[in-house]
Amino acid sequence: MSNIANAFKDGTAFIGFVTAGDPNKEKSIQYILDMAESGCDLIEIGIPFTDPLAEGPVIQQANLRALESNINTDDVFDILEEVRKKSDVPLVFLTYINPVLAYGYEKFFSKCNDLEIDGIIAPDLPFEEKDEIDEIAKNHGIDVISLIAPSSKERIQMIASDATGFIYVVSSLGVTGIRNEIETDLEVIIDEIRNVTDIPTAVGFGISTPEQARDISKVSDGVIVGSAIVKIIGDYGENASEPLKKYVKEMKDACR
Amino acid sequence: MTKVKICGLKSEEDIEIINKHKPDYVGFVFAESPRRIDFNKAKSLKLILDKNILSVGVFVNENMENIIKLFDEGIIEIAQLHGNEDIDYIKKLKEKTNNNLLIIKAIEIKENINNFNEYDDVIDYLLLDSGKGSGNTFNWRLIKNIKKPLFLAGGLNSDNIKEAINQIKPFAVDISSGVETNGYKDNDKIKKIIEVEKLSRGRYGKYGGQYAPETLMNELIDLEEQYEHYKNDPEFIKELDELLKEYAGRPSLLYYAERMTKDLGGAKVYFKREDLNHTGSHKINNVLLQALLAKKMGKTRLIAETGAGQHGVATATAAALLGMECEVFMGEEDTVRQALNVYRMELLGAKVHTVTNGTKTLKDAVNDTFREWADRFYDTHYIVGSAMGPHPYPMIVRDAQTVISKEMKEQILEKEGKLPNAVIACVGGGSNAMGSFYHFLDDEDIKLIGCEGGGKGADTPLNAATMSIGKIGILHGMKSIFCQEEYGQISSVYSISAGLDYPGVGPEHANLREIGRAEYYSITDDEAVNAFEYLSKMEGIIPAIESAHAVAHAIKLAPTMDKDEIIVVCLSGRGDKDVASIAKYKGVDLNE
Repeated sequence: MSNIANAFKDGTAFIGFVTAGDPNKEKSIQYILDMAESGCDLIEIGIPFTDPLAEGPVIQQANLRALESNINTDDVFDILEEVRKKSDVPLVFLTYINPVLAYGYEKFFSKCNDLEIDGIIAPDLPFEEKDEIDEIAKNHGIDVISLIAPSSKERIQMIASDATGFIYVVSSLGVTGIRNEIETDLEVIIDEIRNVTDIPTAVGFGISTPEQARDISKVSDGVIVGSAIVKIIGDYGENASEPLKKYVKEMKDACR
Repeated sequence: MTKVKICGLKSEEDIEIINKHKPDYVGFVFAESPRRIDFNKAKSLKLILDKNILSVGVFVNENMENIIKLFDEGIIEIAQLHGNEDIDYIKKLKEKTNNNLLIIKAIEIKENINNFNEYDDVIDYLLLDSGKGSGNTFNWRLIKNIKKPLFLAGGLNSDNIKEAINQIKPFAVDISSGVETNGYKDNDKIKKIIEVEKLSRGRYGKYGGQYAPETLMNELIDLEEQYEHYKNDPEFIKELDELLKEYAGRPSLLYYAERMTKDLGGAKVYFKREDLNHTGSHKINNVLLQALLAKKMGKTRLIAETGAGQHGVATATAAALLGMECEVFMGEEDTVRQALNVYRMELLGAKVHTVTNGTKTLKDAVNDTFREWADRFYDTHYIVGSAMGPHPYPMIVRDAQTVISKEMKEQILEKEGKLPNAVIACVGGGSNAMGSFYHFLDDEDIKLIGCEGGGKGADTPLNAATMSIGKIGILHGMKSIFCQEEYGQISSVYSISAGLDYPGVGPEHANLREIGRAEYYSITDDEAVNAFEYLSKMEGIIPAIESAHAVAHAIKLAPTMDKDEIIVVCLSGRGDKDVASIAKYKGVDLNE
């Protein structure tokens, strides 16, 4: 069983996202460990990028904060190396593809393997362009995680039948960010996915409250929260540990 | 999109596989071959073939009546002729089928062949092969000056097809033995071919592609399908032509700059006056096409990014003309240096969003427009302003702008009786340059030159000289060349010209440079401002500061060329919008 599957074996998985290096290297290590300790079953690690096209303002700001601390991809690996000394929480990267291309695919995925990072989510690598990294990632045992959106429609089965790790179901149109309401009929999408594959699904985009997490848990194997976590770090800066732990615990409890 | 023909089907099992994977054409072989079938077999196979797939009969010196019978009975729609059928034979065949039977003439490639156009008047398509289905590839470099849509055949399989499509850009690929195993059509190999063809969409060599969020993929695919449909729709073509003519003022003039030519003392310099178009730049060519397409697609709202404001103004104009809503995203820095255009857009009824993210220029305006589109595409079309972005945008925008080189070619032939020696255009994303180069791409003696924003110099940190200092990357939906830091962070770039102040370049340009078909030079702010003033004083034409980059290169190049040589410069826009910022650059205070 891959480490990703472990995240889903015990009830609905609570998946947290954090931008590596936000607000700085030391605190970032601490916050990832805090999240793991207080209930994240899997953590998505964002590699800071100047042009995060699919992100709303909250995560854009996190990218800027990390870049202002001069965090580069090697620093991100350093952060995860420290995390790995204390935690075996399943980790996946969420990154735009350009930083990975610039780092070198071979070198990047080989490092992922060294640090037991199990997957990569690249929002700008749709099914049609997966070839870009598919083979190299596979050779290093890294899952390329597919996204399915409310607008995917007849593409759902094509994407799902080729998916590995888990499937990231995007709850809403537009970009990441906190939303009061999720209007998409997620059940329909997940049913269609279930017609072709048994790999876990996790829903993300717009989820911030325990109520939302509870509702999503009913239809999905996992709940992904990004902006709400990143916002806590944005609000509390270097003193975010306690509120972060409290929030993650609350959300994980809602998923149970 | 390249079409796929699978040739040599002979059994019901073959048709079953074909119906599953849906290539565009199938071939039934009626000539001597292990894949030969007879009339009755073909008839029974056609009966079960998917109705959307066209069938091609393959013949060598066949009795004409047999072909006509196959056509009349609806077994074939197209005849592919591999023998010594001459022009008379083909003419007769056409006559006897009331011109309804389409003809592919197959030519075997030999080293000394140099005329591919012999049959052009009587055929619909040309097919090139290494022999009568020999299964070997031939030297693709021998292919040149093909005028008819091309079927590329000969030794194609899933390993080389991507290269073939990217390199030759044929109308269709024709595969037979490449999808067989032990003489039988192989389901997996056919599936692979169709997949590879899909993946080759929107590629220019290794550049281009469709690196877009999943949320937008169906929208991009729909856009491509609708565009492919409407670009061949006579009514759409007519409507667009009329707008270009009656509203935008096409054709634009080709102007001989006599004083400038004399002053420089070398090649004759001509200007393609895109600055004289309505709204003052080439941008209107693209905007009218996309806005009309959007309207046909049922969209009611247009969004666009803009740098200098030329594209924003053009979009706002088209929206007003077609009665559509319009919102334009513009970097904060650009709203300051191009304040006049902001007011212009508002005057035209558009809402202008000031983008305060990141570098506060064009790059971040593009980001925010994509974000807006991902949120609201059901009623909204994003009019990308340059030959960049995810497929199909680089293709659509280029196609819209090719009117520039089409007219250039006609006009220079009329004025000079010969083609130019060099064509020069400025390159930000590269739409006016692609439009200026396109119809000269096959005339390999003509130098194609792109000029990018060199800012304070390509050897300083302050420039937008993507081609000089950039490297391969992926941003804004495309793989291309980008200015970036070691770790792939996109650099802030700088140019005096807001329209060239972009860290990337369109993918087709990246490929043209890679294959050595076009050259790119960076022009500094100082050189561009000098050219801006030079052209104003010398010819009474105030060029856009973007276009002044191309003028600057012409000033350098013309004196090095002979007097009987010709340079055509694309004057992509007019300079009224730049007057205030150039005055400031020169230290003149207009408010005094």
